[in-house]
Order: sequence, then structure tokens, then C-alpha cells
Amino acid sequence: MRPEDAAPTSLEQRVDAFVQWLFQDYKAPLPKGPKVFNDALLGNQLFARHEVAVIDSPLLQRLKRIKQTGLVYHVFPSATHTRFEHSLGATTLAERCFNAIQDRASVEGKPLVVDADRYGGDLAHLRMAAMLHDVGHGLCSHASEQIYELLADLQEFKEKPAYVKNAPGEILSYLIATSPTFRDWFQETVIQGCQARLDLNTVADLILGKHEDRDKYFLAQIISSAYDCDKLDYIARDSYYCGLALTVDLPRFYSMISTARREDYRVLVLRSYVPLEQILFSKMTLFGSVYHHQKVKCIDSMLRSMVQHILYNPDQCAIDIRGKRITFADAVEYLYVTDDEFFGQTNGFGDAYIKSMLARFRTRDLFVRCLEISRRTVTNWDDGRQGLIDLAKLPAALKDVEDEIHKRLPAASRGHCNRDDVRLSIPGLPGIKTGYAYIQTSKQSEIEYIENYFPLEQWTDAYAHNKWRSYVYAPREVAQPVRDSAISVLRDRSKLEINARISNQACHL
Amino acid sequence: MPAAKLAVLPDHVLSAILTLAKRESGRSRFAFRGHDFQLQEIFSELVRTKKFPILGRFVFSDTGPEPYSPVLNESVSKLQLAGLIGRENPDYAVLFLRPSSEKFFDEDLAQQLSPDDMRQLREVATEFLNRVEVVGSTQP
Repeated sequence: MRPEDAAPTSLEQRVDAFVQWLFQDYKAPLPKGPKVFNDALLGNQLFARHEVAVIDSPLLQRLKRIKQTGLVYHVFPSATHTRFEHSLGATTLAERCFNAIQDRASVEGKPLVVDADRYGGDLAHLRMAAMLHDVGHGLCSHASEQIYELLADLQEFKEKPAYVKNAPGEILSYLIATSPTFRDWFQETVIQGCQARLDLNTVADLILGKHEDRDKYFLAQIISSAYDCDKLDYIARDSYYCGLALTVDLPRFYSMISTARREDYRVLVLRSYVPLEQILFSKMTLFGSVYHHQKVKCIDSMLRSMVQHILYNPDQCAIDIRGKRITFADAVEYLYVTDDEFFGQTNGFGDAYIKSMLARFRTRDLFVRCLEISRRTVTNWDDGRQGLIDLAKLPAALKDVEDEIHKRLPAASRGHCNRDDVRLSIPGLPGIKTGYAYIQTSKQSEIEYIENYFPLEQWTDAYAHNKWRSYVYAPREVAQPVRDSAISVLRDRSKLEINARISNQACHL
Repeated sequence: MPAAKLAVLPDHVLSAILTLAKRESGRSRFAFRGHDFQLQEIFSELVRTKKFPILGRFVFSDTGPEPYSPVLNESVSKLQLAGLIGRENPDYAVLFLRPSSEKFFDEDLAQQLSPDDMRQLREVATEFLNRVEVVGSTQP
């Protein structure tokens, strides 16, 4: 075997192999010119010719087949919006933020030295980074990210200072943008074909929230920070499509944004905390109402059942996606599979278990909660629950507990319950702020932390105390025996004493 | 059934440091001013000294004006969820240890830590105590 025939081994090589697979046989004429896209949330959005080339490419088109909020649409039926429209929206909001900063700098008498050229300036790089920021998302967005983020190769990346701030999806987006195959396509199509003057390294750095010029660090923050274009779009978009009447006053937010020097860096600051408070409050509400909704966590758990079953039964359950055999053995494999391809296969795939799970999704015959673990159901709550919380970061230990719950089922019930049917879901706390958010009430004032203005930490503490719930899920027909077994296992393994009667009321058992 | 052997996670390290700092302070109730950004600053200083390999789990970003470790941030959240620490009214700037923190340390964590881990953790706890503003009664 020649060395070049060897299977790619590093994460970077495997990402490049994915990009090669995605772009194979792709040959499209260059776009004729700019295009306007109409968006339900943001209205008309104007994209330059080279941006249209990227939008038309398989990399962005693939995002049309990945729902922005994963499987949430089983609970909020109109939440069928995709990563594609979110990426376009984030691009538009990045530009609005850029323009707002320039306007304020000009009004405050200190114009910024930034290049607003749409084909090669700072603005062009900013927009391209926003467009590409989510290309590293795979099957069901964050639902699968929670599974593959614990795999060893991504963990190694996460332990490097350059990547430590980034979510797994952002790291994969960066690796896609810097892959040799994408670089070649970008050079040929965007740089030579459309005459854009973009440096892909700068674009890729922006995706990670970095900029080599410290005086332009705020541009990186527009892409990745406590109030980046990603959050501003998804908070507004997710609440809109879930039908939650949340107010996100983006024009007000942009009217209050500026920059200031901190250490050697020019950073984003807000002239008032009120618009940010509103945005963070909306995010907290989204967590409570949508992202951590008990049925949403149930559906995420069902997806984990399927992925885990495929992983442990590759010979029977591997899924073939245009010639690529997928067993979910590494993070990059999640990129090959989109929601449409996974759930839309006419005859299903895999063994009887996978087929039955796909049928459950098709008919919305979902698992039910058998046991609630919360302040109201755990009688020794004040003794702590570190043993339970640890399981969220230890997939092998979590599987061991789930297997033990299955093992302790009465034989009659075990016959109606697959080993992968027992799911213990342990959500984290809402990350309502990632990194630093600064307030500077006027350009003469000191820069302060947002925490000095309103109690962000109070929200998370209150959430941990009052709203956080962990659940055990299983098929409806075995809910009661699974509940009894789970109570017994959690008592032995995590020292939790759970009141079955109160849990039954909460779970409607 | 015996509990499975504990894997020492970053939040365990943080929990041990806070528990040992409490013991060194001699207070029956240990509370200190600890906004997230203040904890980030303290731990980034301690990591920079390179004297404590056990703090290697807290990797800090090398970009931006201030060091930031998402792992530290997540560890605080996890200890809150686990019921080992809490925040106090009225402004929630004060973090305090719940009694369950010492119980977890004595019954589960201490057995998993090597003598060298314990030595480092004690030293870190001392450094930590020197850097935070302990609040509440001065009576032990």
C-alpha cells in the first residue's frame, strides 16, 4: 500500500477527507452577480458575488439539511429552521454590528481604522467568518455535539490554549476552513473566479474568536464572544420559530455597542447593560422553555440511544452515506450525516432496534420520563450529588449506570426493553455568558465587568436550585419497572434517595 | 455494591482546593468574594506559576486581554449543580461552601488523591486563601 493510500489518522486529515468527499464531482458555474435573500426574521439580506459562490457550495448547502435546534421540532412544531438560514442571518448581524460600531466611533469623535470593503476589507473577512462559523455542525446540531465532544481527539484539541474557548463545532468549522481541499476550492472560485481579496487564515482565526491584529480584536468578538452575531441570531431566531414571545431588541443593542482599549486589545463594550440583560434573559428563558424542556432532553437521549447502538453494533448498523460507511466512531463521522439523511431513509437502515427507533421518531412514539431527579424528589438533596453530576462527563460510567438499571429490571420487563432503551439525562447549567462581557457607560468611564451591573451568577444559581432537573427515560410500556430499578441503582451508585411518589406526580406515571 | 473508582475531574480539583482552604481558614463556615472573573484571575495566576501540575486541567485561552478557562467556569457550575457550593444574597458575589463539600472530600475524593496531589492541593489552597477576600464572621 502506498503511503498516500493510508487511511487519514489525524483529526485534520479526517476533516480534509470529509471536505474532499463533500466536494467530489462538484463543479458549478460562477455566480453571475450579487443576490438578495429574504429572511423571515431579518428581511432582505444582500450577498456579494463571491459570497454567493460559497453559499451555493456543498459546504453551506449541506446546512439546509441540519435543523438549527436539532430535534426540538418534535416539541415545538414550527422549529424547523436550519443552520443554513442561521448562518446567513449571523452574517447580516455581523455587518450590522460592524456598521454600528463605526457609526458610534464616528459620532463620539474617534473614527475607527477599519476597512469596510465588501470584497477584501475587514468587513469582507468578518462576513465570510460568520458565513462559515457553523459549517462544522453535524447530525442534529448540538444534540450530537454533546455526544462527540467527549471523544478523545476533540478533547485533545480542547486542551490546547488556542482552542480551549471554542465549542467542538467551532473547532471543526475552523478545521474545515483551513483544510487543503477547501483552501484549493476557495482560491480557485472565490479569489480567482470572483476576484475577492480574502485571506482564509484571517477568516479561520475569526471563527475561533481570534485576530492577529490586537487593534482589531473586537472583530473576532463579533464572531465569538459573550454577545456575538451567532448568539444574537439564534436567540432571536430560535424564540421566533419556537413561538416564544421573547423580545430581542437588536437595533437597541447595536445603538449601544462600541469599542475600547483593554490591555493591548481593542474590545467590544456596551454603553448600557440593559440591551444585554434583555438578550441574556431571553437566552435563560430559551433554556428553561426549549433547550432543557424535558421532552427535548428525552429526544436527545433517544438520539444518543441510536448513536450508541450503532457504535456498538457496527456490522449490523453502519449507515452508508454516498459511499462513506458511518459508525459514529469519531467526531468527523457526525459531519457526513445530516438530519435529513439520518431520519429520511425510506426503508430505514441498521438492525431491528434502529429500525424500531426510526419508526418511533416517524410516529412520535417517544420515550417517557420514568424518574425525576430534582430538589423536590431527592430527599437527601442537601448531602450533595456529585456522583450524579460526574456522569455527564464520563460517558463510560454513564453507560455503566444505564446498563445496571437495565440489568436490575425484572426478567419479564427486560424482555420488552432493549439495553439502549434506558436513558439517564443529566443536563448542565445554562451557559448564559461565555467569556467576558464589558460595560463602559461613556468613553471616559472605566471598563467594568457585566457582573458589576446585574447578577448574572444569581440566575444560574437560581436555575441550579429551582429549575434544574435530571430524568430517567424509557419506553412507556416499561416506565414503572425502569423507575424502580433506577431508584435502586442511583441509591447504590450515587447515594441519592428518591421519593417515588413525588417523582410519579412529576412524571405523570 | 461498592461505588466505582472515582476519576478525578477538574471540578473535583476545585472542590478539594475550596475544602482545604476552608480548613486552613479555621472557619466553620467558609465564604469569600468570588465573581467568576475574580476566580478566573486567581487561577490563571496560580497556573502561570507552573508550580502546581494538578492545575494543568485548567487550560487558559491565549487570546484576548484576559485569560479565560471555560473548564474553570464549567467546574463552578458543576459544583453548584452538585450542591457543594452556593452563592449568597444580595448580590451573589459571595461564594460559600456547603457542608456536603467536606463530606464529598472526606468520603470520596481524598482516597483517590495521591500524596503528591494532596501536597499540591494544600499549597494551592494556601495561595488561594491569600488571594480571596473571606467574608462573614471572623469567629472560627
